[in-house]
Amino acid sequence: MAIVEVTDLEKTFNADSPDPVRVLEDLNLEVEEGEFVALMGPSGSGKTTLLNLIAGLDSPTRGTIRVGDQVISGMSESELAKWRTRNVGFVFQFYNLLPVLTAAENVELPLLLLPMTGAERKQRVRNALEIVGLGDRMSHRPGKLSGGQCQRVGIARAIVTDPTIVVCDEPTGALDAKSADNALNLLEQLRADLGKTIIMVTHDPHAAERAQRIVHLEKGRIVPGDERLRLASTRR
Amino acid sequence: MPPEAASFMGGGPDLSLLQLAVYAVLGLLLVIFILTLMGIGTLPIFFTALLGLQLGLGAAQNLPDPIGKWSKVGGLVFRNMRRNLLRTALVYVALFVLTGMLTLIYTFVTSLVKLTADKEGQQLVILTEKHSIPSQMPPGHERRLRELLRELDPADRPADLDANIMTWSFIGGSTEKGKPTPQNSLFFFALSPEAITSGMMAEQGLNPEDLGSTNWEELLRVVEVVKEDKRHVVIGEDRLKIMNKRVGDTITVYSTNYPGVSFECIIVGAFPAGGRMGGAAAMRYDYLLSLLDEYEKANGKKHPNADRCLNLVWVRMPSKAAYEKLAGKVNNNTAFTPAAKLETFSAIVGAFTEGLKDILWGMKYIVMPAIVCIMCLVVGITITIGVRERWKEMAVMKVLGFGPGQVMSTVVAEAVLIGLFGGMLATWSMWGGVALVSGWAKGAGGGAAFFASLKVPVEVLWMGPALGLFIGLVGSALPSWSARKVKVSEVFSQVA
Repeated sequence: MAIVEVTDLEKTFNADSPDPVRVLEDLNLEVEEGEFVALMGPSGSGKTTLLNLIAGLDSPTRGTIRVGDQVISGMSESELAKWRTRNVGFVFQFYNLLPVLTAAENVELPLLLLPMTGAERKQRVRNALEIVGLGDRMSHRPGKLSGGQCQRVGIARAIVTDPTIVVCDEPTGALDAKSADNALNLLEQLRADLGKTIIMVTHDPHAAERAQRIVHLEKGRIVPGDERLRLASTRR
Repeated sequence: MPPEAASFMGGGPDLSLLQLAVYAVLGLLLVIFILTLMGIGTLPIFFTALLGLQLGLGAAQNLPDPIGKWSKVGGLVFRNMRRNLLRTALVYVALFVLTGMLTLIYTFVTSLVKLTADKEGQQLVILTEKHSIPSQMPPGHERRLRELLRELDPADRPADLDANIMTWSFIGGSTEKGKPTPQNSLFFFALSPEAITSGMMAEQGLNPEDLGSTNWEELLRVVEVVKEDKRHVVIGEDRLKIMNKRVGDTITVYSTNYPGVSFECIIVGAFPAGGRMGGAAAMRYDYLLSLLDEYEKANGKKHPNADRCLNLVWVRMPSKAAYEKLAGKVNNNTAFTPAAKLETFSAIVGAFTEGLKDILWGMKYIVMPAIVCIMCLVVGITITIGVRERWKEMAVMKVLGFGPGQVMSTVVAEAVLIGLFGGMLATWSMWGGVALVSGWAKGAGGGAAFFASLKVPVEVLWMGPALGLFIGLVGSALPSWSARKVKVSEVFSQVA
């Protein structure tokens, strides 16, 4: 069963102005549970807009988006905020960690919005950081960590709430080749070991190759017949 | 001291408008400098208080939710404030200085307003000459006023008239005939000795609260000694020090405003140093009258000032209505020649400060609101810079699920904390500092007497924090609103 289902999606910016910008149109996409999908395409193709819409950061002009068993396309901003807390984990290109917080506190941040005990929060934070191999860097601030380590903290923050989907925004864009490889290995591991559904926007063909499926966008539409479905086992 | 007494003591320096402006600017710069030093001096208290609060929140983080988790969010506010310590410190000092200036202006304005405000209940009223400044009336005016008082209904006149009426005559003089210097000159109030301790001079600091029980007991004793001999006088300790005299000495005072009259005075007591009477002196009114009689006998004619030797008469009336009845009888009474008028003390002070009216209006309605606006701008600009710097972090918080109100409240909390502590420490320091200076001046006496009477209204203790809170809320309104409106999709905007 598809965990993400996008149907007849359209997104137009400045829709009421005389010069509207249609970014996505008649877009249909399904992502299976536990699938690792890469979104690729030239600048302005609409991949970031699509990621924003699937992650509940923006609302479509037309069409529906279902994630899990919830249709998010009609939700208000505050409903989306609550929904994101439980259902979406975010990995950013430039990590976007809060510099005044330690690694553990950064990872704990989204948990503060969920009903759980302090002990449970601490346990989850520890687990998430150990999964990304930073169990010994819990009290370090981002300024004391390397780029690769920061990105791993970002990944830990993305998975700590056990979200339905993890969306990644150019997760290797700011990393050197080795760190990028490590981060991608980690994402693959999350999919394989924890069954996480991952949707990643990338410009990097090497990074995209690590996904099970690559979706190419051009001028707001998915390029037909250019999707590659690969077995997870071939990558492992 | 009665306002009209100033005109007998010689004018101050003759200042041009330009000189006044220069003095005002220099005074303002001095005030800003002192306040800045105080602000810097209280920085450790400010940061210690912040640290204390943060530690308190840190301890609360281990408590069960929701206290625990919201303490963590609250801790984020303190950490944001510590990001740029210099900027936080500068904003605090700026708020401290501006609040301090507001406190000073408020103190000045409220003091004058209190002095010039009409009261409904018991009040001091003053009989003066109607058409002449300074007021110089014949002694008979007091007798006529007493007669009019007796005509009033018992409810409209003081129960004990003698204890609620006093005469004032001002006598300037020096101990060296024709050679007055600051060291040999002194200024007497000629009055009835009973008035010194009857409560009529309570406003001059002659009351048990201001003097303390020991000094008050001593003053009661001295007044009894004054009653024994017309020549007995009481001189302020500050004035005695300047004149190099002491209690027990005998002095001859050659009057400057009663030419040809000299007073043989025996100093039997001293007003305490530092108070309003510390630099003045008091003698018996009947001594002045008897010397004026002797002058007439010796010269075969009245002294030129014999019919102008009563400067003021004070009466403590039971109510405003009673005062108005008496004023109606006095103000159009032809028995008073020259014509006299009866006014409240506040009206006299009000007339005396009439020249300051525009300045007061400007302070209340232009300077004070302008300072508040500047404070809001200082906070607003600083918080805006902070929000701009953390724009993406706020978007990230919203991406992670924090609501717009939660993001907004972290910004508001930051501004409110700085405003609250800035306002609180500034007003508390001003109040405490002035109280310390005043206490020191009371003990020091001499030239410090002016400082002894300084007092910052106690209400500033709550007004300062309240103002800081208000400034924090208003100053952070726009930046916190823009933080609330951060678009979460902007976090991904750098991706094509």
